[in-house]
Amino acid sequence: MGILAWVIILGGLAIGVLVGLNVPFLIPQLYAKYLSVAILAALDSVFGGVRAAMEDSYDNTIFLTGFFSNALLAAGLAFIGERLGMDLYLAAVVAFGVRLFQNLAIIRRHLLKK
Amino acid sequence: MNRKIYLSVFLVALVIGLMVALQFRTTNSIEQGVPLSRSQELSVELNQLITEKKQLESEIEDLIQKIQQTTKGQAEAKEVLTEELKKTRLGAGLTAVSGPGIEITLDNPSAGQNKGPGDTIFAIRDEDLLRLVNELNGAGVEAMSINGQRILATSEIRWAAPFINVNLTRIAPPYHILAIGAPKNLTSALEISGGLAEYLQSLGAQVRIQSYENLTVPGYTAPIEFRYAKPTKGD
Repeated sequence: MGILAWVIILGGLAIGVLVGLNVPFLIPQLYAKYLSVAILAALDSVFGGVRAAMEDSYDNTIFLTGFFSNALLAAGLAFIGERLGMDLYLAAVVAFGVRLFQNLAIIRRHLLKK
Repeated sequence: MNRKIYLSVFLVALVIGLMVALQFRTTNSIEQGVPLSRSQELSVELNQLITEKKQLESEIEDLIQKIQQTTKGQAEAKEVLTEELKKTRLGAGLTAVSGPGIEITLDNPSAGQNKGPGDTIFAIRDEDLLRLVNELNGAGVEAMSINGQRILATSEIRWAAPFINVNLTRIAPPYHILAIGAPKNLTSALEISGGLAEYLQSLGAQVRIQSYENLTVPGYTAPIEFRYAKPTKGD
């Protein structure tokens, strides 16, 4: 984890943001809700990966599959919930939000212990 | 191994950046417009209104068709009624009519024409006119008038000395009787030997009968009132 890692992370983010800001189409309002849930799940996965790296139990395959499957699952659940007339995306928001804060707390402790 | 990790981290960073940026833009655009739930409600409402509008439009077409049918029927009915009214007025004698017919001029004997001692007393009376009218009716007259008074089913010809009343109007000699019908039939009905013309002439009255190609008999102008007679329910 040197400068190269930060360059890669920030470069990826910057390219993603640039592409996202310049893509000629917008997500339809109907699907914006699903995307927000997917972002939450993705962030959760990222912080989970950071935490795993700090605990020295990082597994690249788990991280990647977790990242995409969590995002897609969250969005899919929200979608199905919408079709069933249930605000299932709230469940995803709560679950991933709680996990996200737990991960953050653990990361903070690790950083403090150093 | 390291490369793989870098690659996956790069990929994840890229996807997150993309999603966040997209979401950011979408949220921004939503905030500028109407909220999502409101727009959903509105779209549902719009769909309902569209279907409702379609229904109403078809209803309008239906009603327009009905109106057209009705007005068409109304126009026909009006035509029929007008025709009927015309016929009825014609039959009742309320309209002036014209056609071939004869004119009969009757006058009392003039003073110098006396043939006998009793002749001077003679004057044409209501009975003579009544007989004349009856004779003409028998000969198939279609319309007639005496001195401008149309003879109706209810017309009286009545002696009210020294005048004769027809349709409550006094008439005075000479009497002009206009009769529309086949001129030949009417003339022969009067001029038949031993007929009315001969009879009146024998009494000294001046009788002149003239055929016309085209006569005009005036209509009855006073209002007709029915105070006692009512149509029966069957009609």
